[in-house]
Amino acid sequence: MWELIQQNKRRSIVLFVMMGAILLLLGYLIGAAFAPPDGGLFGLVLAIVVWGVMSMISYFSGDSIMLNMAGAKEVTREVHPQLYNVIEEMKIAGSLPRVPKVYIIETSAPNAFATGRKAENASIAVTTGLLEKMNRDELQGVVAHETGHILNRDILFITFAGVMLGTIVILSDMFLRGMRFGGSRRLGSSRSKNGGQGAAVLLVVALVFAILAPIMAQLLYFAVSRRREYLADATAVRLTRYPEGLASALEKISASTDDMPRMNKAIAPLFIANPIKAAGARMSNLTSTHPPITERIAILRSIAGGVGYLNYQQAYSKIKSTREQVLPKSALEEKDVPTARSASPEVVTGTVTSSPKRGINDLIRAVNGFAFLTCTCGLKIKIPPDFGKDSVTCPRCNQLNKIPVAELAASVAVLEGIGAKGVEEEIKSESTYKRQSQSWESFKCACGRTIQL
Amino acid sequence: MVALEFADFEVDTCLDCGGIWLDSGELEMILGQDVPIRVVADSGDVSVSKRKCPVCNKKMSAYATRSPRATEIDVCTTEHGIWFDRGELSTIAESLQEPLRSTVLDQMRAIFTKEF
Repeated sequence: MWELIQQNKRRSIVLFVMMGAILLLLGYLIGAAFAPPDGGLFGLVLAIVVWGVMSMISYFSGDSIMLNMAGAKEVTREVHPQLYNVIEEMKIAGSLPRVPKVYIIETSAPNAFATGRKAENASIAVTTGLLEKMNRDELQGVVAHETGHILNRDILFITFAGVMLGTIVILSDMFLRGMRFGGSRRLGSSRSKNGGQGAAVLLVVALVFAILAPIMAQLLYFAVSRRREYLADATAVRLTRYPEGLASALEKISASTDDMPRMNKAIAPLFIANPIKAAGARMSNLTSTHPPITERIAILRSIAGGVGYLNYQQAYSKIKSTREQVLPKSALEEKDVPTARSASPEVVTGTVTSSPKRGINDLIRAVNGFAFLTCTCGLKIKIPPDFGKDSVTCPRCNQLNKIPVAELAASVAVLEGIGAKGVEEEIKSESTYKRQSQSWESFKCACGRTIQL
Repeated sequence: MVALEFADFEVDTCLDCGGIWLDSGELEMILGQDVPIRVVADSGDVSVSKRKCPVCNKKMSAYATRSPRATEIDVCTTEHGIWFDRGELSTIAESLQEPLRSTVLDQMRAIFTKEF
């Protein structure tokens, strides 16, 4: 495993150096084209500074920027025990030093990603669509794939390479825009007759390079991140010992037609499946951040004889009919190949909600600090945190209900993982529940849990 | 908007203006079958609504209906859901055929005592 990471690191470094070279060359050429002959050096320095600043920002807060961009909200065990359980399981299976932080993104498109600097401060974000559509084995497969990214040190690399790609795009964009508005004038009024021709040639070179650089960098970036997807799939198979879980999860993900509205190119490679479907369909295989999902499924389904890396490589060679090694050599030499397990039995949970969507919606409301109130007539009222009044008239029985502000505070406290003792005591003295029928009844306790009587 | 849940059925409503928001799929849940929005909005007239979708915050499309009364219901262009002003849902329900009509009216009466 260690060598596996080493190889991944080496590949990252190669990519890093090559993208760095593109960046520096771009900076040099732009500088040289604008102010020959000394401008080249200035452009070089400028490119390094811009990249340095962006790298610093992404190193120290890249994960929170990514999570924010995706609109992810942190959840605790209390809010979604099953998801938390699965992540904890994968933490143990992959011997991560810490349980990754768990985030939820509110969108009907099933998807997930992992981010962070290193395994110690990694985060895994899943969409509500994923929770809604997957069974436990499938959810486990997806989480294991993300854990694979964390274990294989992909998360920091993707962040950094993404930033570098972004810098290249910004620089060339700035240059091309500058050309459109002031460049032609500059070209016409050459400072000296001798230098003019040289500058013009340089300008053309810079122009061509500015157009090509982002494309080259992107191709480089994609080539490596696609390999990483295969590797993460292989790791997931090994962690879960159940290839079918991830395969059927990928199948469900690719069958979904939902687009993720808030996504952009910078965070797209992070996700388990490309979140920008419409764009992905138009792009050729060459420029896609992810290998074709059908191919990934076919590979997973034809894994036989065990669930080690070698078995994955064999399945890969069979499906792609190629001898190319997608996994590093060291991984293929592993001695004790784990055996596959069978599907876990469908557990019937005790929840009464008829539709999974309802449960997910309530989950999102809980995360967003809604208050849950049940009127004595049986109507459940879910009140947003910005409601602004301390009472609400039940539209069913016209009874005036006090909004439990304490509950609101308590649920927020639970979500933030703070056991606010004072608030709890306040609730204890206030909450009373009257039985409304002779049969089983469930109600939401002030602490946020559902209690059945 | 607050969400109201009763007997396995949920609607979002604004308690101040009495408007009702049905997420995509919720109308189907009430009716128990897939009903394209065109059935509910009978005339083909579609214009841009002044209201914005509470989910995506983009301007919705206003579908004009003639029977039994002229109303306009606002539908999110990316199918996040449908907005009914106060009274519009009952008007629409009246125009539906049985048994859809009583299904909608019964469900809504179970939640609202006032006009919906």
